[in-house]
Amino acid sequence: MKIIVLVKQVPEADKVAVNPETGTLIREGVASILNPFCEYALDEAVRLKEEYPEKEIEVIAISMGPPQAKSALMRCLELGADRAYLLSDRKFAGSDVWATSNALSLGVKKLVPDFDLILTGKQAIDGDTAQVPPETAEHLGIPQITYGVNTKIEDKKIVVKRETEEGYQIVSTRLPALVTMSKGSNIRRMPSMKQILEARKKTLEIVSAEDIGADDTKVGLNASPTQVAKVFAPPEKGGGEIIDGREEPKLAAKKIFDFLIANNFI
Amino acid sequence: MTDNIIITETIEEIPLETIRVIEGEEEIRISHPGYLFDESKISGGHAEKIFFPKNEQEVATIIKKLNEEKIPVTISAARTGIVGSAVPLYGGVIISFEQLNSVKGIGYDEEEKRWFVRLEPNVTLSELNDVVKLKKFEENQSIPPEKNWVEKFKELNTYYYPIDPTETSAAIGGTIAANASGARSFRYGATREWVKRIRVVIPTGEILDIPRGKYRAKDGNFIIKTKEGEIKLVIPSYEMPKAKNAAGLYAKPDMDLIDLFIGSEGILGIITEAELWIKEYESHMSNVAFFDNEIDALHFVDLLRKKSTFKPEFIEFFDKNALTLLREKQEEDPKFVDMPTISKTVEAAISFDLPFDEETIETIISEVGDFLRQCNSSLENTWCGYEERERARFKHFRHAVPEIVNNLIAERKKTYPEIHKLGTDMSVTDEHLVDIMQFYHKKIEEAGLEYVIWGHIGDNHVHVNILPRNMEDLEQGKLLYKKFAKKAVEFGGSVSAEHGIGKIKHEYLLIMYGEENVDQMRQVKLSIDPNCILNPGNIFDIEVKK
Amino acid sequence: MLIVDMEKCIGCGICEKVCPFGAIIVPTDTKKAKVLENCTLCGTCVNACPYGALTIERKTVSKEQLSQYTGVFIWGEWEKRENIPHIKNVVLELLGKGRELADRVNEELTVVLAGYNVEQLVSTLFHHGADKVILAEHELLEAYTTDGYATVISSIIAAKKPSIVLYGATPNGRDLAPRVAARLGLGLTADCTGLDIDKENQLVQTRPAFGGNIMASILSPYTRPQMSTVRPNVFKKPKEDKTKEGKTEIFEVKLKRSSIRTKILEEIHVLDEVVNIEEADKLVSVGRGIESKENIKIAQELAEAMGATLSGSRALVDIGWLPHARQVGQSGKTVSPNLYLAFGISGAVQHLVGMKSSDVIVAVNNDPEAPIFKVANLSVIGDILKIIPELTKLVREYNTKKESEEI
Repeated sequence: MKIIVLVKQVPEADKVAVNPETGTLIREGVASILNPFCEYALDEAVRLKEEYPEKEIEVIAISMGPPQAKSALMRCLELGADRAYLLSDRKFAGSDVWATSNALSLGVKKLVPDFDLILTGKQAIDGDTAQVPPETAEHLGIPQITYGVNTKIEDKKIVVKRETEEGYQIVSTRLPALVTMSKGSNIRRMPSMKQILEARKKTLEIVSAEDIGADDTKVGLNASPTQVAKVFAPPEKGGGEIIDGREEPKLAAKKIFDFLIANNFI
Repeated sequence: MTDNIIITETIEEIPLETIRVIEGEEEIRISHPGYLFDESKISGGHAEKIFFPKNEQEVATIIKKLNEEKIPVTISAARTGIVGSAVPLYGGVIISFEQLNSVKGIGYDEEEKRWFVRLEPNVTLSELNDVVKLKKFEENQSIPPEKNWVEKFKELNTYYYPIDPTETSAAIGGTIAANASGARSFRYGATREWVKRIRVVIPTGEILDIPRGKYRAKDGNFIIKTKEGEIKLVIPSYEMPKAKNAAGLYAKPDMDLIDLFIGSEGILGIITEAELWIKEYESHMSNVAFFDNEIDALHFVDLLRKKSTFKPEFIEFFDKNALTLLREKQEEDPKFVDMPTISKTVEAAISFDLPFDEETIETIISEVGDFLRQCNSSLENTWCGYEERERARFKHFRHAVPEIVNNLIAERKKTYPEIHKLGTDMSVTDEHLVDIMQFYHKKIEEAGLEYVIWGHIGDNHVHVNILPRNMEDLEQGKLLYKKFAKKAVEFGGSVSAEHGIGKIKHEYLLIMYGEENVDQMRQVKLSIDPNCILNPGNIFDIEVKK
Repeated sequence: MLIVDMEKCIGCGICEKVCPFGAIIVPTDTKKAKVLENCTLCGTCVNACPYGALTIERKTVSKEQLSQYTGVFIWGEWEKRENIPHIKNVVLELLGKGRELADRVNEELTVVLAGYNVEQLVSTLFHHGADKVILAEHELLEAYTTDGYATVISSIIAAKKPSIVLYGATPNGRDLAPRVAARLGLGLTADCTGLDIDKENQLVQTRPAFGGNIMASILSPYTRPQMSTVRPNVFKKPKEDKTKEGKTEIFEVKLKRSSIRTKILEEIHVLDEVVNIEEADKLVSVGRGIESKENIKIAQELAEAMGATLSGSRALVDIGWLPHARQVGQSGKTVSPNLYLAFGISGAVQHLVGMKSSDVIVAVNNDPEAPIFKVANLSVIGDILKIIPELTKLVREYNTKKESEEI
């Protein structure tokens, strides 16, 4: 059985800011990491591999990004993926959701045509769109289940516990299918030094647009229906009154109370 | 040219009334009680006034006035110290450094080929690193202004200030006064080695500007030329321990004047500005290796220190009791110790950070693998992470033990309010590591006390935490503490490797140096601060005057 | 154009079965799929074909063609509460914003209401500003499924050619919209917090990225319709006007059970009560500073005294002290109550993103440097465990006084 995990490398989101004057991203000192939700997906794939040894599960990590995104795939290999591919080509530059998901689906069809399951993170912490996985599923013509926290494989089906607004749902679908993972209850894996060493001996290939048969009209900026018109810093709020209530909690409570009364909240 | 004579700078006094002040012992107790405590949590602090100076001139004005009136003064910045140095036990005045909190600029020392940052004492470690890592400097902040260092600095890779005494909300001035260190001093040394220059206000209200390398002792002394006359400082003649040390005044025959002030816990002068070296950031990977017995773990430390072709950034230790605490906490709250399960057979763990880059990683790991095999462990048994957020997990793991210990003690305080943790801070020399560890375990186990041992084993500087269950345990623990101090000194170590003496470890200073040597320190203090107004109670008690 | 690869097509007839428009057939003589004139390029058959024999070639739409797309559409998401369907709040919020956009370009505002036995919801939509409701009912639409809804919504969009389609960025909205976008080859902007029309009558879609640290404005210049999912609680609900009426258009749905590939086996409602922090007008929100699970009680008491709802930061949800439904922030809910009282929440960007648009923010934290103070109207440095009970006492005293006065 083959499980593909689609992953993305992201900057550590809470450290990225915009220079308010130039409108450019400040990425100084911001590390790149494997998107945390993608890591949950990978953890889930490795867990399935361990849970169903008779299925001889192979875990394949695929990403699209610049050459340095190799390090995110390296982390996948360290955490237990068996091989990895990076779709990397100047032609992919400027891809929006549609073009990215299209390239990924072409990559999947070319590299692992006989896949059984695709696992992804529910969203990436940089863009937060949560759109690439469903669009990829659509391009591949397979069903999707979003916001999974736990999966079980039953025969030709997958059964997923997914988060809903009211709690959880148990949903099943036939394979092949795509499931996006939210943070489950698993403790995140921690590779051993041995795995770090072994990962560097596994296959990690860079794949070009030509390799996956993607022509210029299907990937990159040309194939992207959306365009970023501008990027800017969010307006600052706050600057309200500050009270030091460390010594006099009673007084502080009174001040909050007065404020709430004055604003008709009580 | 170096010299042992330094001439003070004088500062124009300003009217004292223009400086913000809070007055009245009762008023301070009610409205500003935070200033009467620090992380030592010792009680008894009180003060008549709190001044809030905005600059060096105001600090100098206040100090001069207080010296004339012989009023004791305690400096208050972030108050993160744990030996009570910022607690005004002897009343008088508090000077809050709250407003001395700006990063003034950045420069490049063309001789040393090193970058440095100039800052005021109340900038915290995390603020400093935030400014340096994100290169938040204005164009006009080059030192000197005619050089365009800021522009050049912005083109470089990430830089940082490597001293990491765990508590990053500590104020820089405090870290210099305490010669703060922490785990990474194994690789980078303590604060001392990173101080390029300081400005110090002395009790006369004058300023000493001390760049490293300019003033060196001659004939065992320094001369300070003030407006009124000369102050002669006789350097104590004792020999400093070879092991990591933060106890007592620094003294060496040909020492640099700057080193006398660094680590002097504020008893000789008040730092109003400093320049600190910074360095280029290197990627590291964090690791934790596990061992089935402690001797194997100590052997591994020895191999890492002596046989490795690379230098770990730090080497930290957890004994079997610390691991048990972690394991139990993990079962109760898996998110608190966000790590894989710790095997039950494990009796010691070593956490160590190594340089990381793709070129060398395979060689380094293979080398570590050899060491581990020699110590009956393996690469498979060793956690590893190098992404920043992974390393944060390791960091959290390392800090979890003291946190759990503190919670445990807080819980016990509910039954015995007088109970507190007994934490040692002692170092020894390399060759005595195994001996002292065995001594610790043997003595505490004989006494039947509960304890954990963890800490900076790279510097042979572990923290023994005795966890008293009742008042009897506490008394017994205190006796043991003294025994440990004597033993550490016997083993060429220090009674306080990083926390300092402050107001609570005077008796251990005596154990370490003896009455005569402590007297030599007193003489230095009395020469520069005859009225004993500066931070009274730090290092010696108030009777210093006699 | 829908293209049939004659070599790959084996004439299995699945496409004919799934087509919502009856626009593709497999004649018995040729045994190959044939596309009819009424094909809307909705893409349902492409997705369903097991042999990859069908593809749609989409050309970017020229300026003249762009103008053929008119109208603002909103996906009328609904949910069952106590077994009765209710329109989701975000749909009403979208009606307010949608009305404004439609008026700017002088076009109609339409809600696409798909479901089963939901006709009763139509009038509410008119009362909140819809000109028209497209009602698509089918028993297979009784519960939300990706396949069922994607097919219906895609086919309506393909047939009606609107210029703008808006979805609430709810879990289902975020599940559905990208599926439709991929099928129809359209741009989609996720989690918008701002929508506007520019000089060329294009939809300017503004959204936060990098955990809210930056904002980006996005256009879809060459494709129509322009589609966005929009965060709940960003736009204000319009005033209800019960006199307003509109047109209802029934859309015939052809849907087969076999084309819905997922199956809901079980629903687990974790909450004993239904909490909807997104719809609360006052929130008492607690973070790590609350220190223990037991202490949550004191915050709950304050919330009760104030008539507010209790919510919290991710830290508390992660350790299981609060249910996920009460989580504010990037991985929880976006809220914008009239009053947000934050106790012991330091304010990581992931949290701020979820509550920044609250009208009034009061924050209490013992750390003077807590980032939450940067967005607060009133910041109090102090110990929440001391301040909350005092505040509760004051509120209760006030309430009692009020009550006695009223008697």
